[in-house]
Amino acid sequence: MVTLGHFLLLSGLLMAIGLYGVLTRRNLIAVLMSVEILLNAAALAFVSVAAYRDPHLFAGQIFALFIIVVAAAELSIGFAILLNVYRSHGVVESDAISEMRG
Amino acid sequence: MSLTAFYALAAFILLFALLAVTTANMVRAALSLAVTFFLIAGLYVLLGSPALAAIQFMVNASAIPIMTLFIIMMTQSRNSPAPKSWQIALGALAAAAALVFFRVAVDHGDSSVASASPAVLGEGLLRAALLPFEVASVLLLLAMVGAIVLARRRAG
Repeated sequence: MVTLGHFLLLSGLLMAIGLYGVLTRRNLIAVLMSVEILLNAAALAFVSVAAYRDPHLFAGQIFALFIIVVAAAELSIGFAILLNVYRSHGVVESDAISEMRG
Repeated sequence: MSLTAFYALAAFILLFALLAVTTANMVRAALSLAVTFFLIAGLYVLLGSPALAAIQFMVNASAIPIMTLFIIMMTQSRNSPAPKSWQIALGALAAAAALVFFRVAVDHGDSSVASASPAVLGEGLLRAALLPFEVASVLLLLAMVGAIVLARRRAG
């Protein structure tokens, strides 16, 4: 049978993959995509714990719903900022916007 | 819940997530991300919440990849440059640390899943979580207006 541990391990692996993407990607759009993987891993952990441990209240699923909402808001604002970065620098890469280095 | 379905979904989720964070082609990365989120919706069905699976399919597996593809085309970023070697080392180190941190979660023995019908989920949302629900709607409105203001082409 599939246990809660299976789902939590899958969520942890997804979290590790997303973290790797955030740290290694140099295109800022790809960084935001990796952040999406991180948020989905967290939502998956919430939903699986709710399904296994919380038979009457659905707080975990409602939490996952709000994670999806916040992720959509974060992504739309992030993309609008990246559009401005593209207009002022010509590229959306993290190396290009490092001129505030002290 | 069948073990075969879980392992098949999990294997493809990890495969496409790895593809999404490692491939240099940005369009391919966005499409792999869409497939990953679509398969996570399948996991939500396995976990007994079809309403959440439908929302995951509509928002994360459809709307967000389309927005990502638009922004990839608007900023003409066809490829993501290859990461530097110190970045790969740092990323692998952080991923390994995250796995060690999550390893403590992997010995829960129980295996009964409570399914949540969409009606129950909706009632919980509008009774127990009414205030967060309204705050979320204001957040989405603010994000929409903010994105329009930020992305607007300045005059002159």
